[in-house]
Amino acid sequence: MAGKKLSILSSGLIAGAAVLIGSSLFFPWWGMEFFAPQYPEGLNIIVYPDKLEGEIDIVNGLNHYIGMKGFSEENFPELTYLKYLIGGLALLTLITAVLRRKKVLYFLIGLFSIGGLLGVWDLRRWLHDFGTDLSPTAPIKVDPFVPPIIGENTLANFITNSYLGTGSFLVLAAFILILIPLWKDR
Amino acid sequence: MKKWIPIATGLATGLLAATVFFADFSPGDRNEAIAESSKNKTNAEKVYVPFGEKDEYYLFASGGHSGQMFIYGVPSMRHIRTVPVFSPDSATGYGFDKHSKEMMGGFTWGDLHHPAFSETNGDYDGKYMFATDVGNSRAAVMNLETFTVKDIIDVPNTSGPHCAAFVTENTEYMFLPTRFAVPIGREYAPLDDYSEKYRGVMSAVTFDEKKEKLNIAYQVALPPWSYDLSDAGKKVSKDWAVMTTYNTEEATTNLEINASQADRDFIVLFNWKELEQMVKDGKYDEVTGQKMIFPEKHKGGMYLVPVAKSPHGVDVTPDGKHFIASGKLAPSMTVFSFEKAFKAIENKEFAGERNGIPIIKYESVMEKEVNPENALGPLHTQFDEQGMAYTTMFISSEIVKWDPKTGETLDRVPVQYSPGHSVAAEGDTVAPDGKYLIALNKIAKDSYLSVGPSHPESMQLIDLRGDKMEVIQSAPVNPEPHYAQMIKADKIKTITVYPKDEKNPDAVYSQEETRIERKGNEVHVYGIAMRSKFIFDAKAERPDQIEVKKGDKVFIHLTNIDFDQDITHGFAINGYDLNIEVQPGQTNTVEFTADKAGTFPIYCTNFCSALHQEMTGYFLVKP
Ligand SMILES: [Cu+2]
Repeated sequence: MAGKKLSILSSGLIAGAAVLIGSSLFFPWWGMEFFAPQYPEGLNIIVYPDKLEGEIDIVNGLNHYIGMKGFSEENFPELTYLKYLIGGLALLTLITAVLRRKKVLYFLIGLFSIGGLLGVWDLRRWLHDFGTDLSPTAPIKVDPFVPPIIGENTLANFITNSYLGTGSFLVLAAFILILIPLWKDR
Repeated sequence: MKKWIPIATGLATGLLAATVFFADFSPGDRNEAIAESSKNKTNAEKVYVPFGEKDEYYLFASGGHSGQMFIYGVPSMRHIRTVPVFSPDSATGYGFDKHSKEMMGGFTWGDLHHPAFSETNGDYDGKYMFATDVGNSRAAVMNLETFTVKDIIDVPNTSGPHCAAFVTENTEYMFLPTRFAVPIGREYAPLDDYSEKYRGVMSAVTFDEKKEKLNIAYQVALPPWSYDLSDAGKKVSKDWAVMTTYNTEEATTNLEINASQADRDFIVLFNWKELEQMVKDGKYDEVTGQKMIFPEKHKGGMYLVPVAKSPHGVDVTPDGKHFIASGKLAPSMTVFSFEKAFKAIENKEFAGERNGIPIIKYESVMEKEVNPENALGPLHTQFDEQGMAYTTMFISSEIVKWDPKTGETLDRVPVQYSPGHSVAAEGDTVAPDGKYLIALNKIAKDSYLSVGPSHPESMQLIDLRGDKMEVIQSAPVNPEPHYAQMIKADKIKTITVYPKDEKNPDAVYSQEETRIERKGNEVHVYGIAMRSKFIFDAKAERPDQIEVKKGDKVFIHLTNIDFDQDITHGFAINGYDLNIEVQPGQTNTVEFTADKAGTFPIYCTNFCSALHQEMTGYFLVKP
């Protein structure tokens, strides 16, 4: 019986993970920065679970030259419900911490992994969609491209840099925290 | 073995989170290494501002009869911008759009003299710049967030406000005195009636910062003399102001001779607080819609101080205790004391009066006369951080540095040639910076590549930091560098993009909202400009065309929806004498009657992008 129940320490770690997941809602998860000779200060697209920030209009204004669709919050339905999914995950994690049941923890880790993979897949899908579905009448023709989720990419006069935001790091940290009990209480 | 794993992982996780939250990845201060070692620098190095760095001061130089204001950087002396004020300017569309056209009031030029910054506690606050028009008797105010003119008013009765604008310690007033006496209302009166019917009206102009509007508070019907230069008091003298006047002879012809006869002319010393109170107390006449104080009827607040003949400059020292005046035909400068003047007024030490204004005895207010050897034509004085005076000598072409306390001449430096005014860094505030002085020279012959018989005018930068004054840079300039003001660059806070104004009924911030509305013979276009197209009506087959009928009244409201620094668009109609500008985020309106039928291409005049050339449309006027 005792073997199946998670230790107090593990429960505490999982509770900590719940807090990290919850707080990640208030931080950007992913971002992209664009640099060009005329924009040495950089232009930003900053993605929160529920909104976009940065110089979106300026980026859109420039992107229309290559026929890219405009970024806007309406274009991403995810932004309307993502915060509930993340909030739900935080709640589930908290419940796991309270129940201190290994089975529930396995379920949580599974859900976490699947959710994470889905998130990465979704982001890649969008990047692929924006980079390849270019208007055929655009004044400047560029080859279809897919910016990386993390890392540098060069397009025309722009160097783009995609990076994970604070929110992603918090969730990663939370994931590490919920993995620890696997060791600890094995 | 088991136990350290969670602890270590926990620590690592904590560290990761802490780094994400608190780590400072910003680069260090790159300016740290730049130190001042001006002594070992050549003149070229002293004025060199490398690319990427910016000048220490803004110089606002009056453009004289160009009607414009020239903006320079100091010490580089690089011309940064020309701001149109009283004259139309096709480079910026000024004088064509609705607001600036209304402000111009039908005039096509102006003679911009004596720019003056708004002040708080006697120091420049960097918010507004005032200027006056000698040519057509107007006053203007420029907003220093955008370097654009916000208001221009006609100043009735005051003719040729040459010595204006000078603003009081907290921008309560700027005063506009008359250079060319005229009958009130500029009515016809023969010159034989000059002394009776003509007046040198001074106007007290106020500025409403909230509405960005100029207004006339009251006027003073001074005698029919020419008022030349002026300055507001500071600190102890803050309620007072001084201005020089010539032609107290009241000559009406050949002034060169006839206004140079009297041995002494006057400084008008007035207490604007007292004048303000007189107006409150009803001690004025209502004339041409203005509240006008007639000194012979409404006594008080105004005095005359005798001064060497045909004076030009009068400048208040930074401590506010003295004012220095010089007769432009006399060799000497005179230091007057405000304290002595106040005492003389109290004790009524008057030597008669002129036109109802008491004349204070010269001896009762004069402190010392200063006469540097062979220095001729003293015009105008500026000050450094130690209160030392720098006077331009028009005739002997030099700047003389002297100590107003002792009268001792400290230094002299020749300039090429004939300096009118000079300007020191914040040199007419309560706290001058010292460092630099610029001589504004009227004559530049021999100095630059020839451009034909008419030479440019010139400005010379003088370094005040060493033991000796040194001319370290000369710059040719457009006519006419009459007067200038130099302000520390960090006092000016410009904006780079106009903020969205959702309440502006003329603004459209998205393509979908663009539309053309017709009401009878009025056509209202609510359009946008963006890189690189115009959209006047998003739903039309050709969104970039405007079609009207001949005789229609056309209103084009254009919003630049590129909220991006430095992306300005222009809007011109080829063959229609129209060109306006929309700065980033700005909404601007042009209003005109389509009185020519035909086909008129529209294009963006302000280079905006690689496809700027394609940023066009059509204005079609059906016969
Ligand atoms: Cu353009």
